[in-house]
Amino acid sequence: MDFSIRAANVEDCKDIARMILELAEYEKVADHVKVTQRDLEQDGFSKNPFFHGIVAEVPEQHKTKEGHTKIGYALYFYSYSSWSGRAVYMEDLYVMPEFRGKSIGKALMSKVAQLGLAAGCNQLNFTVLDWNKPSMDFYLSQGSFDVTADMGYHCMRCEGEALEHLAQP
Amino acid sequence: MHFKLRPATKEDCKEISRMILELAVYEKMPDQAKISHEELERDGFCQNPFFECLVAEVPEENKSKDGFTVVGYALYFYTYSTWKGPTVFLEDLYVMPEFRGNGFGKGLLCKVAKVGKEKQCVRLQLSVLDWNTPSRDFYAAQGAQDLTDSEGWHFIRFDGQKLDNLANEAPKD
Repeated sequence: MDFSIRAANVEDCKDIARMILELAEYEKVADHVKVTQRDLEQDGFSKNPFFHGIVAEVPEQHKTKEGHTKIGYALYFYSYSSWSGRAVYMEDLYVMPEFRGKSIGKALMSKVAQLGLAAGCNQLNFTVLDWNKPSMDFYLSQGSFDVTADMGYHCMRCEGEALEHLAQP
Repeated sequence: MHFKLRPATKEDCKEISRMILELAVYEKMPDQAKISHEELERDGFCQNPFFECLVAEVPEENKSKDGFTVVGYALYFYTYSTWKGPTVFLEDLYVMPEFRGNGFGKGLLCKVAKVGKEKQCVRLQLSVLDWNTPSRDFYAAQGAQDLTDSEGWHFIRFDGQKLDNLANEAPKD
Protein backbone atom coordinates (compact mmCIF):
# COMPACT_ATOMS: atom_id res chain seq x y z
CA MET A 1 0.00 0.00 0.00
CA ASP A 2 1.23 3.45 -0.88
CA PHE A 3 1.91 5.70 2.07
CA SER A 4 4.02 8.76 2.82
CA ILE A 5 5.77 9.99 5.95
CA ARG A 6 6.18 13.70 6.54
CA ALA A 7 6.77 16.22 9.31
CA ALA A 8 3.60 17.09 11.24
CA ASN A 9 2.21 20.60 10.96
CA VAL A 10 -0.21 22.44 13.24
CA GLU A 11 -3.21 21.33 11.13
CA ASP A 12 -2.38 17.71 11.93
CA CYS A 13 -3.03 18.20 15.65
CA LYS A 14 -6.69 17.18 15.36
CA ASP A 15 -5.74 13.80 13.90
CA ILE A 16 -2.79 13.38 16.27
CA ALA A 17 -5.11 14.05 19.25
CA ARG A 18 -7.52 11.44 17.88
CA MET A 19 -4.75 8.87 17.51
CA ILE A 20 -3.26 9.65 20.95
CA LEU A 21 -6.63 8.64 22.38
CA GLU A 22 -6.71 5.48 20.25
CA LEU A 23 -3.22 4.57 21.52
CA ALA A 24 -4.27 5.21 25.13
CA GLU A 25 -7.29 2.92 24.62
CA TYR A 26 -4.93 0.22 23.32
CA GLU A 27 -2.77 0.75 26.44
CA LYS A 28 -5.97 0.49 28.53
CA VAL A 29 -5.68 3.98 30.02
CA ALA A 30 -7.87 6.25 27.88
CA ASP A 31 -9.12 8.18 30.94
CA HIS A 32 -5.53 9.25 31.68
CA VAL A 33 -5.34 11.49 28.60
CA LYS A 34 -5.62 15.14 29.52
CA VAL A 35 -3.78 16.67 26.55
CA THR A 36 -6.13 18.28 24.02
CA GLN A 37 -5.74 19.27 20.37
CA ARG A 38 -5.19 22.87 21.53
CA ASP A 39 -2.42 21.77 23.97
CA LEU A 40 -0.66 19.97 21.10
CA GLU A 41 -0.92 23.07 18.91
CA GLN A 42 0.62 25.25 21.63
CA ASP A 43 3.19 22.78 22.92
CA GLY A 44 4.38 21.43 19.58
CA PHE A 45 4.26 24.45 17.31
CA SER A 46 5.44 27.39 19.40
CA LYS A 47 8.89 29.02 19.37
CA ASN A 48 10.43 26.41 21.69
CA PRO A 49 8.36 23.30 21.05
CA PHE A 50 8.29 20.50 23.62
CA PHE A 51 8.06 17.89 20.88
CA HIS A 52 8.20 17.19 17.14
CA GLY A 53 5.90 14.91 15.18
CA ILE A 54 5.81 12.93 11.96
CA VAL A 55 2.65 11.54 10.39
CA ALA A 56 1.95 8.64 8.03
CA GLU A 57 -0.60 9.41 5.37
CA VAL A 58 -2.36 7.26 2.75
CA PRO A 59 -3.92 8.46 -0.52
CA GLU A 60 -7.66 9.30 -0.61
CA GLN A 61 -8.59 5.95 -2.14
CA HIS A 62 -7.25 4.14 0.95
CA LYS A 63 -8.84 6.36 3.59
CA THR A 64 -10.58 4.73 6.58
CA LYS A 65 -14.34 4.25 6.69
CA GLU A 66 -14.53 7.46 8.80
CA GLY A 67 -12.60 9.28 6.10
CA HIS A 68 -9.14 9.58 7.71
CA THR A 69 -6.02 9.66 5.56
CA LYS A 70 -3.65 10.37 8.45
CA ILE A 71 -3.32 6.86 9.84
CA GLY A 72 -0.18 6.83 11.97
CA TYR A 73 2.21 9.11 13.83
CA ALA A 74 5.36 9.28 15.89
CA LEU A 75 6.03 11.98 18.43
CA TYR A 76 9.61 12.60 19.62
CA PHE A 77 11.89 15.12 21.29
CA TYR A 78 15.59 15.51 22.03
CA SER A 79 16.95 14.39 25.35
CA TYR A 80 20.40 13.89 26.85
CA SER A 81 22.50 11.11 28.28
CA SER A 82 25.20 12.37 30.62
CA TRP A 83 27.21 9.33 29.53
CA SER A 84 26.89 9.47 25.76
CA GLY A 85 25.43 12.87 24.88
CA ARG A 86 22.57 13.80 22.58
CA ALA A 87 19.69 11.38 22.37
CA VAL A 88 16.25 11.26 20.79
CA TYR A 89 13.25 10.02 22.74
CA MET A 90 10.26 8.58 20.91
CA GLU A 91 7.24 9.32 23.13
CA ASP A 92 4.60 7.67 20.91
CA LEU A 93 4.56 5.37 17.89
CA TYR A 94 1.13 4.40 16.57
CA VAL A 95 -0.49 3.00 13.43
CA MET A 96 -4.27 2.50 13.19
CA PRO A 97 -5.11 -1.23 13.44
CA GLU A 98 -6.43 -1.58 9.88
CA PHE A 99 -3.09 -0.27 8.49
CA ARG A 100 -0.79 -2.54 10.48
CA GLY A 101 1.36 -5.22 8.90
CA LYS A 102 2.46 -2.90 6.07
CA SER A 103 5.73 -1.66 7.64
CA ILE A 104 4.30 1.77 8.34
CA GLY A 105 5.34 1.55 12.02
CA LYS A 106 8.83 0.53 10.98
CA ALA A 107 9.00 3.43 8.51
CA LEU A 108 7.94 5.94 11.20
CA MET A 109 10.47 4.62 13.69
CA SER A 110 13.27 4.59 11.09
CA LYS A 111 12.46 8.18 10.22
CA VAL A 112 12.78 9.20 13.88
CA ALA A 113 16.15 7.37 14.00
CA GLN A 114 17.29 9.16 10.84
CA LEU A 115 16.25 12.58 12.17
CA GLY A 116 17.97 11.80 15.46
CA LEU A 117 21.24 10.82 13.79
CA ALA A 118 21.09 13.97 11.64
CA ALA A 119 20.85 15.97 14.89
CA GLY A 120 23.94 14.22 16.31
CA CYS A 121 22.13 11.77 18.58
CA ASN A 122 23.73 8.51 19.74
CA GLN A 123 20.64 6.85 21.17
CA LEU A 124 16.97 6.40 20.36
CA ASN A 125 15.08 5.69 23.59
CA PHE A 126 11.45 4.98 24.45
CA THR A 127 9.37 2.91 26.86
CA VAL A 128 7.03 -0.01 26.36
CA LEU A 129 4.73 -1.86 28.76
CA ASP A 130 6.00 -5.30 29.71
CA TRP A 131 2.67 -7.00 28.84
CA ASN A 132 2.65 -5.43 25.36
CA LYS A 133 4.21 -8.45 23.68
CA PRO A 134 3.56 -7.50 20.02
CA SER A 135 5.32 -4.15 20.53
CA MET A 136 8.12 -5.59 22.67
CA ASP A 137 8.78 -8.32 20.07
CA PHE A 138 8.71 -5.75 17.26
CA TYR A 139 11.22 -3.43 18.93
CA LEU A 140 13.60 -6.21 19.95
CA SER A 141 13.46 -7.72 16.45
CA GLN A 142 14.55 -4.34 15.04
CA GLY A 143 17.74 -4.38 17.09
CA SER A 144 16.83 -2.53 20.27
CA PHE A 145 17.56 -3.85 23.75
CA ASP A 146 15.57 -3.75 26.98
CA VAL A 147 17.50 -1.36 29.28
CA THR A 148 15.26 -2.22 32.24
CA ALA A 149 15.68 -6.01 31.90
CA ASP A 150 19.41 -5.88 30.95
CA MET A 151 20.70 -3.06 33.13
CA GLY A 152 18.09 -2.79 35.90
CA TYR A 153 16.88 0.78 35.37
CA HIS A 154 13.43 1.56 36.76
CA CYS A 155 11.22 4.48 35.64
CA MET A 156 10.26 6.75 38.53
CA ARG A 157 7.73 9.55 38.59
CA CYS A 158 6.63 12.41 40.87
CA GLU A 159 3.36 14.16 40.04
CA GLY A 160 0.32 15.80 41.63
CA GLU A 161 0.65 16.55 45.31
CA ALA A 162 4.07 14.93 45.62
CA LEU A 163 5.42 17.25 42.91
CA GLU A 164 3.71 20.32 44.47
CA HIS A 165 5.34 19.47 47.76
CA LEU A 166 8.79 19.06 46.20
CA ALA A 167 8.54 22.34 44.34
CA GLN A 168 7.82 24.30 47.52
CA PRO A 169 10.02 23.00 50.30
CA MET B 1 26.82 23.39 56.31
CA HIS B 2 26.53 26.47 54.10
CA PHE B 3 25.92 25.77 50.45
CA LYS B 4 24.56 27.48 47.35
CA LEU B 5 22.46 25.97 44.57
CA ARG B 6 22.80 27.84 41.29
CA PRO B 7 22.47 27.31 37.54
CA ALA B 8 25.62 25.84 36.02
CA THR B 9 27.80 28.01 33.79
CA LYS B 10 29.96 26.88 30.89
CA GLU B 11 32.96 27.08 33.21
CA ASP B 12 31.38 24.46 35.51
CA CYS B 13 31.46 21.79 32.79
CA LYS B 14 34.88 20.48 33.84
CA GLU B 15 33.55 19.86 37.37
CA ILE B 16 30.28 18.42 36.05
CA SER B 17 32.11 15.96 33.82
CA ARG B 18 34.31 14.95 36.80
CA MET B 19 31.17 14.26 38.84
CA ILE B 20 29.46 12.44 35.94
CA LEU B 21 32.37 9.98 36.05
CA GLU B 22 32.10 9.67 39.85
CA LEU B 23 28.38 8.87 39.48
CA ALA B 24 29.14 6.28 36.77
CA VAL B 25 31.68 4.64 39.11
CA TYR B 26 29.01 4.55 41.85
CA GLU B 27 26.58 2.96 39.35
CA LYS B 28 29.28 0.35 38.58
CA MET B 29 29.51 1.36 34.91
CA PRO B 30 32.56 3.68 34.71
CA ASP B 31 33.37 2.82 31.08
CA GLN B 32 29.89 3.88 29.96
CA ALA B 33 30.63 7.56 30.71
CA LYS B 34 32.12 8.67 27.40
CA ILE B 35 31.20 12.34 27.35
CA SER B 36 33.81 15.11 27.46
CA HIS B 37 33.46 18.50 29.14
CA GLU B 38 33.68 20.10 25.68
CA GLU B 39 30.54 18.22 24.61
CA LEU B 40 28.75 19.39 27.74
CA GLU B 41 29.79 22.97 26.95
CA ARG B 42 28.54 22.63 23.39
CA ASP B 43 25.26 20.86 24.18
CA GLY B 44 24.28 22.71 27.35
CA PHE B 45 25.15 26.25 26.37
CA CYS B 46 24.11 26.56 22.74
CA GLN B 47 21.05 28.38 21.40
CA ASN B 48 18.69 25.42 21.93
CA PRO B 49 20.39 23.56 24.77
CA PHE B 50 19.83 19.82 25.12
CA PHE B 51 19.89 20.07 28.91
CA GLU B 52 20.01 22.41 31.88
CA CYS B 53 22.08 21.92 35.00
CA LEU B 54 22.17 23.12 38.60
CA VAL B 55 25.26 22.82 40.78
CA ALA B 56 25.74 22.73 44.55
CA GLU B 57 28.66 24.88 45.68
CA VAL B 58 30.31 25.21 49.11
CA PRO B 59 32.49 28.11 50.31
CA GLU B 60 36.32 27.78 50.07
CA GLU B 61 36.65 26.91 53.76
CA ASN B 62 34.44 23.81 53.23
CA LYS B 63 36.02 22.60 50.00
CA SER B 64 36.50 18.85 49.46
CA LYS B 65 39.71 17.07 50.44
CA ASP B 66 40.81 17.36 46.80
CA GLY B 67 40.05 21.08 46.72
CA PHE B 68 36.69 21.16 44.94
CA THR B 69 33.97 23.67 45.82
CA VAL B 70 31.43 22.43 43.24
CA VAL B 71 30.31 19.29 45.03
CA GLY B 72 26.99 18.23 43.52
CA TYR B 73 24.84 18.66 40.42
CA ALA B 74 21.45 17.96 38.88
CA LEU B 75 21.23 17.62 35.09
CA TYR B 76 17.75 17.70 33.57
CA PHE B 77 15.79 18.43 30.38
CA TYR B 78 12.20 18.88 29.28
CA THR B 79 10.15 16.10 27.78
CA TYR B 80 6.51 15.65 26.84
CA SER B 81 3.78 13.26 27.83
CA THR B 82 1.06 12.99 25.20
CA TRP B 83 -1.29 12.18 28.07
CA LYS B 84 -0.44 14.91 30.57
CA GLY B 85 1.80 17.50 28.87
CA PRO B 86 5.23 19.00 29.70
CA THR B 87 7.48 16.98 31.96
CA VAL B 88 10.93 17.52 33.43
CA PHE B 89 13.28 14.55 33.29
CA LEU B 90 16.03 14.42 35.92
CA GLU B 91 18.88 12.69 34.10
CA ASP B 92 21.43 12.87 36.95
CA LEU B 93 21.38 13.83 40.61
CA TYR B 94 24.70 13.50 42.44
CA VAL B 95 26.37 14.74 45.60
CA MET B 96 29.99 13.85 46.43
CA PRO B 97 30.05 11.26 49.25
CA GLU B 98 31.79 13.54 51.79
CA PHE B 99 28.97 16.11 51.43
CA ARG B 100 26.01 13.77 51.78
CA GLY B 101 23.58 13.99 54.66
CA ASN B 102 23.45 17.81 54.55
CA GLY B 103 20.32 18.24 52.42
CA PHE B 104 22.21 19.02 49.17
CA GLY B 105 20.52 16.21 47.21
CA LYS B 106 17.05 17.13 48.43
CA GLY B 107 17.82 20.80 47.74
CA LEU B 108 18.83 20.04 44.15
CA LEU B 109 15.78 17.82 43.58
CA CYS B 110 13.42 20.48 44.94
CA LYS B 111 15.02 23.17 42.82
CA VAL B 112 14.57 21.05 39.67
CA ALA B 113 10.91 20.49 40.61
CA LYS B 114 10.48 24.27 41.11
CA VAL B 115 12.12 25.12 37.78
CA GLY B 116 9.93 22.51 36.10
CA LYS B 117 6.77 23.91 37.64
CA GLU B 118 7.68 27.39 36.42
CA LYS B 119 7.80 25.90 32.91
CA GLN B 120 4.33 24.37 33.43
CA CYS B 121 5.63 20.83 33.87
CA VAL B 122 3.12 18.47 35.46
CA ARG B 123 5.52 15.59 36.06
CA LEU B 124 9.10 15.00 37.15
CA GLN B 125 10.57 11.69 35.96
CA LEU B 126 13.88 9.92 36.42
CA SER B 127 15.36 6.45 36.36
CA VAL B 128 17.13 4.56 39.13
CA LEU B 129 18.94 1.23 39.22
CA ASP B 130 17.00 -1.58 40.85
CA TRP B 131 19.84 -2.44 43.28
CA ASN B 132 20.35 1.19 44.34
CA THR B 133 18.35 0.97 47.57
CA PRO B 134 19.52 4.26 49.16
CA SER B 135 18.43 6.20 46.06
CA ARG B 136 15.19 4.24 45.63
CA ASP B 137 14.34 4.90 49.28
CA PHE B 138 15.23 8.59 48.90
CA TYR B 139 12.97 9.08 45.88
CA ALA B 140 10.15 7.02 47.40
CA ALA B 141 10.35 9.22 50.51
CA GLN B 142 9.87 12.26 48.24
CA GLY B 143 6.66 10.74 46.85
CA ALA B 144 7.98 9.17 43.63
CA GLN B 145 6.27 6.06 42.31
CA ASP B 146 8.16 3.21 40.67
CA LEU B 147 6.35 2.82 37.33
CA THR B 148 8.37 -0.23 36.32
CA ASP B 149 7.15 -2.11 39.39
CA SER B 150 3.61 -0.72 39.49
CA GLU B 151 2.73 -0.51 35.78
CA GLY B 152 5.36 -2.59 33.96
CA TRP B 153 7.11 0.17 32.00
CA HIS B 154 10.48 -0.79 30.48
CA PHE B 155 13.07 1.48 28.88
CA ILE B 156 14.06 0.35 25.39
CA ARG B 157 17.07 1.63 23.45
CA PHE B 158 18.65 1.60 20.00
CA ASP B 159 22.31 2.65 19.83
CA GLY B 160 25.53 2.03 17.89
CA GLN B 161 25.30 -0.04 14.71
CA LYS B 162 21.67 -1.01 15.43
CA LEU B 163 20.68 2.67 15.42
CA ASP B 164 22.57 3.26 12.15
CA ASN B 165 20.87 0.24 10.57
CA LEU B 166 17.44 1.46 11.62
CA ALA B 167 18.06 4.97 10.28
CA ASN B 168 19.29 3.55 6.95
CA GLU B 169 15.92 1.94 6.44
CA ALA B 170 13.98 5.22 6.64
CA PRO B 171 11.90 5.93 3.55
CA LYS B 172 13.44 8.41 1.13
CA ASP B 173 11.84 11.87 1.17
